[in-house]
Amino acid sequence: MPRYKIADVVFDAQLKYKYTEKLCKNYEYCGEEDAKLLISITDEDIGAEKVNALDYPDNYLESLALFRKLCAYILSNEDGIIFHSSAIMVDGKAYLFTAPSGTGKSTHTRLWRELLGDRAVMVNDDKPIIRLVDGKFYVYGTPWNGKHGLDTNCRAEVKAICKIYQAKENVIKKVSADQMILTLLDQTVRPKKSADMDKLLGLLDKMLTQLDLYTLGCNVSREAAELSYRTMTGRSDYED
Amino acid sequence: MKIKDGFVLREVAGQRIVVAVGKATQSFNGIIKLNESSALLWKKLEDGATEEELVGVLLGEYDVTEEEARKDVKTFVDNLTKAGLVK
Repeated sequence: MPRYKIADVVFDAQLKYKYTEKLCKNYEYCGEEDAKLLISITDEDIGAEKVNALDYPDNYLESLALFRKLCAYILSNEDGIIFHSSAIMVDGKAYLFTAPSGTGKSTHTRLWRELLGDRAVMVNDDKPIIRLVDGKFYVYGTPWNGKHGLDTNCRAEVKAICKIYQAKENVIKKVSADQMILTLLDQTVRPKKSADMDKLLGLLDKMLTQLDLYTLGCNVSREAAELSYRTMTGRSDYED
Repeated sequence: MKIKDGFVLREVAGQRIVVAVGKATQSFNGIIKLNESSALLWKKLEDGATEEELVGVLLGEYDVTEEEARKDVKTFVDNLTKAGLVK
């Protein structure tokens, strides 16, 4: 049975399909730590995924079910949430760009990579996990990395969250917690159990309080990346 | 009139929001933001209250005329009814 370490959680997985094993290959774990849990994916779990994604093959749905179960465990036990975003790390700090699918999260982090070269590392392009560890928020790479397959098996301290929307002119604003709360709730998976919901809301409360929050209206240009990078890091140390 | 089971009022980052938990998530997956006075009415409705009682709450807590209070309560109750949050 394969053993994985994702978001610093070691677990065994009972899987039927090679697809999921292949997807998680970079997260295989052979170290000393014991597994904290066993995740078995049953036909019932796969069936439940069909409610949201009817036309997908079972092997893909198995991978979604694994992710769902892992995230449920992490929310209940490890102070962590899934956060739909494109997460990029520069000089050891992570910046999370979030928006509804199709807005241009991945495009914007690609512009950062073009601006910053090797200094910029993609943590995850679609579904990273964020955990609160010793009072600080860290973003972790996961194998569920979006259509461009961009992720790194690493973690980085989160500095800022930026909600993006498409705009002709680039404009960035620092915003307050109350302006971001619905965005954060929309971009995570909301649990059904009341106790888990309270855990989620507790984590979001801390995220909104501790992290820098921005909204960015942007087009697809180097200037858009320069503006967000300068504003969110306070630096302009990129090459002309 | 009473708030249905499974709808909970919580405070996050100083904001009052209502979310569904348990079985209520099957029929409602939105989020409702409440202001201070709406949250007060909501709390009354968690235990059950009539529109008259809600009007009384607003009159007791805020500097409003009875006419304004009635109008606010009606709007609030209509919105809750439309969203299917009360029984």
